[in-house]
Amino acid sequence: MSLSCIGLFAAVCERNIPAIRPSVQHKSFMIKFHNIKKIYDGSYVALDNINLEIKAGEFISIVGTSGAGKSTLLRMLTREDRPTSGEVLVEGVNLADLPDSEIPFLRRKIGTVYQDFKLLSRKTAFENVAFALEVAGEGEHDVAIDVAQILAVVGLAGKSNNFPHQMSGGEKQRLAIARAMIHRPKIILADEPTGNLDLVNSYDVVKLLEKINELGTTVVLATHDDRIVNTIKKRVVTMDKGRIVRDQQGSGKYVI
Amino acid sequence: MKRNSYLSLGASGTLALTLILFLGLLSIQFLSGQIVDSLKNKIDISAYFKIDATESQILAVKQDLEGYKLVDSVTYISRDQALADFKARHQDDQNIRDSLSQLDSNPLQASLNVKSKDPSQYVDIVKFLEANKFRSTIDKINFYENQGVIDRIQSISSGVSNWGLVVTLLVGLIAILVTFNTIRLTIYNQKQEIEIMRLVGASNWYIRGPYLAEGGLYGLFAALVALLIFYPIVYLVSGKIENFVTSVNIFSYFFHNIIQVSLLTILLGVVLGVVSSFITISKHLKI
Repeated sequence: MSLSCIGLFAAVCERNIPAIRPSVQHKSFMIKFHNIKKIYDGSYVALDNINLEIKAGEFISIVGTSGAGKSTLLRMLTREDRPTSGEVLVEGVNLADLPDSEIPFLRRKIGTVYQDFKLLSRKTAFENVAFALEVAGEGEHDVAIDVAQILAVVGLAGKSNNFPHQMSGGEKQRLAIARAMIHRPKIILADEPTGNLDLVNSYDVVKLLEKINELGTTVVLATHDDRIVNTIKKRVVTMDKGRIVRDQQGSGKYVI
Repeated sequence: MKRNSYLSLGASGTLALTLILFLGLLSIQFLSGQIVDSLKNKIDISAYFKIDATESQILAVKQDLEGYKLVDSVTYISRDQALADFKARHQDDQNIRDSLSQLDSNPLQASLNVKSKDPSQYVDIVKFLEANKFRSTIDKINFYENQGVIDRIQSISSGVSNWGLVVTLLVGLIAILVTFNTIRLTIYNQKQEIEIMRLVGASNWYIRGPYLAEGGLYGLFAALVALLIFYPIVYLVSGKIENFVTSVNIFSYFFHNIIQVSLLTILLGVVLGVVSSFITISKHLKI
């Protein structure tokens, strides 16, 4: 990732920077999970009394084995799922109070990245990112400029007209990140983003997420990849069987 | 869209069938209405006067009748007029012309032809005539009893209409189900795109829109097909019906009202399509 990219990135993300200071002063937390319980089919306990607070601008890794509840927790933040009991607050707003019509707007404020990329196979790289703007009703002119910028930032400027099947795993994930970033969200949720990638590409993706975080976006990374977590050296929360078993505030390591 | 083409045809086809049945129902209602009306017009009372009745007596009866509130019109046909009409009607019949030329005097009677506004009032008019002071000059009162025929026609017509409605509704239901299934398949095939749209924050109507439009298009296409089939059939059948019951031209009715009929059919088709689509969306699109 060249320095010029980062510089361009900073310019593109400059809207986020002024936002950091006020939010740190006025709001205590960007995300707050309060007494969250999630029970499926009346008996399977996926989340058991989760209490977690994430500050604005934080980079937090949530680790644990498969089935620990990481993805379930992340789904609560986009209202893909609802807790059986407890409150989820994003920027002070209780998500349970959100009417259904407001959910699309919530999702535009939170960028999501997944293990299976979730790209539209029949659209080019450019169109995949532009799609996120089109559904929000942006004008064509603005779309073209924004998309070109964000693709340059993630290092895919030359691949604008390529289709996902013509790109490597690492490139696809970077495209997914570009799409997640297009609305300049305050939060990025990455659910096992490196699951389908090799070590080098995984490293690149995590570095990209770190850069995004440095410029003010709160990043929540859910993963069971210990290699990359140990390189980040930031807060690590460990989950097991639906509970938080460890919370290392800084320089966290992947420890179960 | 190629994978879907047979399915789409199926959906449009059943919708078109529903619309054709609906138009058929309209035709039946129109036809029976016309027949009943023409029969109603044929009802009248003819009072035939004795040969020795004077014209002033006949005209007096005519005035009395015209003053009676149930009477719409009274026409006086004098003996001479009756003979002239008879000659004109049978001018091509040589036998009758020969017989006529052998007559010394006019055998025909003068008559008053009474029409009422309401077919059911004829009985009362007959009673009125019977009570008239010049009743003795009247030879006979002919009352062409059409009421029974009218009642029969009306009951047959409503019977056919009711059954027709039931059949149309049934076919309509099938059409909705077929459209429902077709759109459900479209949704299923596009599951990936829909999921991504939701994640990226597309509003619900943005996602629903294309499917509602799909339903509407099926309906529109079905309506056009229905109209294209219906009008030629009406044209062909119209001549035959006109031979059977004169003064009823079904094709000209539908032709003159072509805009209203077309708009109604299109509206019905589109509504059916959009409604089926909406039901599918509510059941299968998790938003």
